[in-house]
Amino acid sequence: MKRFAGWTLASPATLLVVVFLVLPVLATIVTTFTTPGGPFSTYAAFFGSGFRRTVLWRTIQVSLATTVIALVIGFLTAYVVSRSPGWLKSILIVAAVFPLLTGVVVRSFAWLIILGKNGILNTTLLNLGVIGEPLTMLYTQGAVIIAMVYLFVPLMILTLVGVLEAIPDDLIQASASLGAKPTATFMQVTLPLAVPGLIVGAVLVFTGSFTSYATPQLLGGEQVMMMGTLMYQQAMVVFDWVAASTIAAVMVVITIAIVLLMTRVARRLNPMAV
Amino acid sequence: MKKLAATALALSATALLSAAPAMAQGKTLTISWWGFNGEKLEAIVLAPFREQCGCEIVFETGNNGERLNKIQIRNGAGVDVAYFSDSFSQQGIEAGLFQKIDPAKLPNLAGIYELARDPQGGYGPAYTIGRVGIVYDSAKVTTPIASWNDLWREDLAASLSLPGITTTAGPMVVMKAGEHQGVDAFADADGAFAGVEALKPNVVKNYNTGSEMINLFSTGEISAAIAQDFTLGQIQAAVPSVVWAELGEGSIATLNTVNIPTGAAEPELAYQFINLILSPEIQQQLAEQGVDAPVNTSVTLTPEQAALWTYGADLIAGLQRIDYVKMNAAKSGWVDRWNEIFGM
Repeated sequence: MKRFAGWTLASPATLLVVVFLVLPVLATIVTTFTTPGGPFSTYAAFFGSGFRRTVLWRTIQVSLATTVIALVIGFLTAYVVSRSPGWLKSILIVAAVFPLLTGVVVRSFAWLIILGKNGILNTTLLNLGVIGEPLTMLYTQGAVIIAMVYLFVPLMILTLVGVLEAIPDDLIQASASLGAKPTATFMQVTLPLAVPGLIVGAVLVFTGSFTSYATPQLLGGEQVMMMGTLMYQQAMVVFDWVAASTIAAVMVVITIAIVLLMTRVARRLNPMAV
Repeated sequence: MKKLAATALALSATALLSAAPAMAQGKTLTISWWGFNGEKLEAIVLAPFREQCGCEIVFETGNNGERLNKIQIRNGAGVDVAYFSDSFSQQGIEAGLFQKIDPAKLPNLAGIYELARDPQGGYGPAYTIGRVGIVYDSAKVTTPIASWNDLWREDLAASLSLPGITTTAGPMVVMKAGEHQGVDAFADADGAFAGVEALKPNVVKNYNTGSEMINLFSTGEISAAIAQDFTLGQIQAAVPSVVWAELGEGSIATLNTVNIPTGAAEPELAYQFINLILSPEIQQQLAEQGVDAPVNTSVTLTPEQAALWTYGADLIAGLQRIDYVKMNAAKSGWVDRWNEIFGM
């Protein structure tokens, strides 16, 4: 009876989610199987194209690199923030969240100024005599990864601070009192307990990177085309909505696969946490 | 009796004319356009038209592709006047989204250049004309660029930006690459793309919007680009040494057209609006205030005012035209081939 009441209470929200989130995605995917060429012809065309495979592989690489770097930076920062006294913690959190107050385009544009031929970094290196000629940093995969890490690290920090704060000090002290060194305490107590936050953060960053459009467009252009840019091109320029839907479907499947993989890894790291 | 009849006729005509705004009261004209120069267009075009029609005006804004997609999804409905560059309006025509124009309802057509009156076989006229050519920073490119073939010069290595294949001017690069290789891009895409491939070492980044290209100039990333002339003023504001190349083969004409979609709710208002924007008075003001180049032959500009525009019968007569039917048919395949060169 209790269970039935729970379902009843949850049904309006479930209905909203299904109608506004799940059905549009399903409708998009269904169109890819109803083409005159047969149910899988659009997928055959997608995976048959060397260029599209390159774009897919590049998108996975960039997203994974962004996720790993954001995890490392985000975890270290969140750890420091969570162990800081109250007033400093507030200042650090505000500083971490500050970039989120501006738009993605503005934050990506900032990197154009930093990494450009006449940008801050090249000018500094030239003035210091480290380089003789400006380095080509823009419109490379590296530039896209740097900008995306900058975009997503605040999100990672916010996700992890709450998780790290929730780890009781007693556990850390107990570990120390039982003779564990700080490294051992970190590896065997703190890190496993932070796994749920790491997984949530990693999923958020990976999916955000995997589907991003503005940053790859601005800092990578055609040379570093990613799935979002390719999908936009197919939908808005070539007007091939079936090809765009196929790209969307491939992105959905890969995102789900990566999330499942991460969950599995998390379960291995900490069977209790996930 | 005759006098009475004439008076009655005059009174009726006056009543009809004065009733015209009242009849349009409560009506709404929906315009799909880019959204640039909103304040100037409000003052020069919209306010006078609102006064003339007594109607409301609402807008749909966005780039060509986004807006054409919306009209296509609505099967030609939702908009009464649609502004598009000619490559996109041609796609709309081919998709059956625009209705044929009745020239009798546009008296101001008679006053515009022949080129602009009926550029796409019975559909909307062009209200402005531009050109695609080459701009370069004369402080960095010391040997002037005088031909499309100069794009392949070695001294332009890693200093060029091309319009992306998804922009209005992008497919024109393929055509020019074909000419450089001595082939027709439509008949021999392999040959044309060999020319594009050969151009790649000179390319820093391809741009998708005019502002992106201006940024590339202002940050020193590039010193030459294929561009549309409406961007020249802004580029020169950022980098004064940038000049428009005088190309021996001539620049390429680009027309911005206005069409009435098949599902337009207020086609008569749309005709009135299109007629207004083709009028000498409006065209003169738009050109003087830096909004659009004029197509009305009676517009007269000072050399300073005309400097940025595709202006004057001689210049317009020297422009190259594009066969957009052929180009749009080839575009899908060209996009993939272009991506393979620049995106691999």
